Amino acid sequence: MPINVSFLVRNLPLFYEGAVVTIELSVLTIVIVMVWGLVIVTGRVSRLRLWRLLAGGYIQLVRNTPVLVQMYFIYFGLAMAGFGLSGFASGLLALSLQNGGYVAEIYRAGFESISMKQIEGAKALGMTRWSLLWLVVLPQAFVRVIPPLGNQLILIIKDTSLVSAIAVGELTQTGKLLSERTAATYEIFFTLAVFYLVMTSIVGGMVRLYERRFAIAH
Amino acid sequence: MGVDSGHPTVQLRNVSVRFGRMQVLKHVSLSIDRREVVVIIGRSGSGKTTLLRCINFLEEYDEGEIVVDGELIGYRTGPDGQRIRKSEREIAAARSNIGMVFQSYNLFPHMTVLRNIMAGPIHVRRMSRQEADAGARELLARVGLSDKVDEYPIKLSGGQQQRVAIARALAMQPKVMLFDEVTSALDPELVGEVLAVIKQLARDGMTMVVVTHEMQFARDIANRVVFIDEGVIVEQGQPRDLFSNPSSERLRAFLKRYREGYLL
Repeated sequence: MPINVSFLVRNLPLFYEGAVVTIELSVLTIVIVMVWGLVIVTGRVSRLRLWRLLAGGYIQLVRNTPVLVQMYFIYFGLAMAGFGLSGFASGLLALSLQNGGYVAEIYRAGFESISMKQIEGAKALGMTRWSLLWLVVLPQAFVRVIPPLGNQLILIIKDTSLVSAIAVGELTQTGKLLSERTAATYEIFFTLAVFYLVMTSIVGGMVRLYERRFAIAH
Repeated sequence: MGVDSGHPTVQLRNVSVRFGRMQVLKHVSLSIDRREVVVIIGRSGSGKTTLLRCINFLEEYDEGEIVVDGELIGYRTGPDGQRIRKSEREIAAARSNIGMVFQSYNLFPHMTVLRNIMAGPIHVRRMSRQEADAGARELLARVGLSDKVDEYPIKLSGGQQQRVAIARALAMQPKVMLFDEVTSALDPELVGEVLAVIKQLARDGMTMVVVTHEMQFARDIANRVVFIDEGVIVEQGQPRDLFSNPSSERLRAFLKRYREGYLL
């Protein structure tokens, strides 16, 4: 199959526009999710039963339903109930809610991988709960969390393509519209894949860089 | 340097610990004077490590009381005589005066040797960075590891890691040091360097409670040896008397097993 290169070059600005929206959505989601995950995990390991139950229930809820259904619910469902959000905001909300649950579980696995011996070592020095967490547990958990967290960030970037279903003009939506107007379906979706590949590779590379930088100490 | 029997540094009164249905310590009373070195021996599972861990409240005890340097550990007595658990902050403050060295070193792998030693003084004692740094270097010199200041623990041998762990505990200027089978995880050729550091501490007059399987070491270092079995102190006394003239059948059996197992 011959590739129509001039068509691609002509439409490249459109792809760029879509890519900008995808990047915006990805970066915002990633920032929110990393903080929100921390909030949830503090609930998950809290000494208060109510917080533990709420956080656990939340994770079950967001993890066991498809993110696309969550997006539809927020975009269409909430609009019916009188809380209309834009497509972008709905997508951001759904992606953040679901991935926040995943990231919280990644954080928790990181905390729990720190052995009791480390905690006793810190306690024996007279460290309080807070300095123990801050000086001993978090720095070690952080290093262990980098690889699975990186993985999750890549999933987030790919999942942003789902917001094309609620009329957000990001990369996938741009491709869909273009392919409806023209017959160059093959070229369009190939180009889309390359765009995603470039973005996820950049994030993947950054993660590996961090991993190596912090691994030296271990 | 002699033992100062003015008032005991550590005092256990009637301490009992249960793990579920098993009673690990049964009404144990023991007092340790200032500058005294008490070595606790016994089979594994006898309760000796539990006893040690109660002293800095890493193990919570169910009955009795423990006093270190005049302060009740873990609990206070309420107006009606009931036990009230002290706050996390109070418990942490009490621990900061009690040094502990673990079987598996428990150094912080993400900190250099120097940082490991400085962490307590800076974050618990609120000492200035310069002061903590100087103190840490001095302690490293004392345990013979001045050349390892900037290494990470993983780069050190087990014996070196354990000496760093001792320095880390000493940096808090503890009233008493607790040693929990600190040579059990070491290759035989590395045991000597760790024991030498502990012996020097004993000579310097540090109050110490030592749980060990090294009988020769116990004999060399102890002012008093305490033999514990099934959660009870069976016998105690000066190492000379205890080792050559055990009065209880249980200690005789323990020493016999030990000689057959390790010394032949």
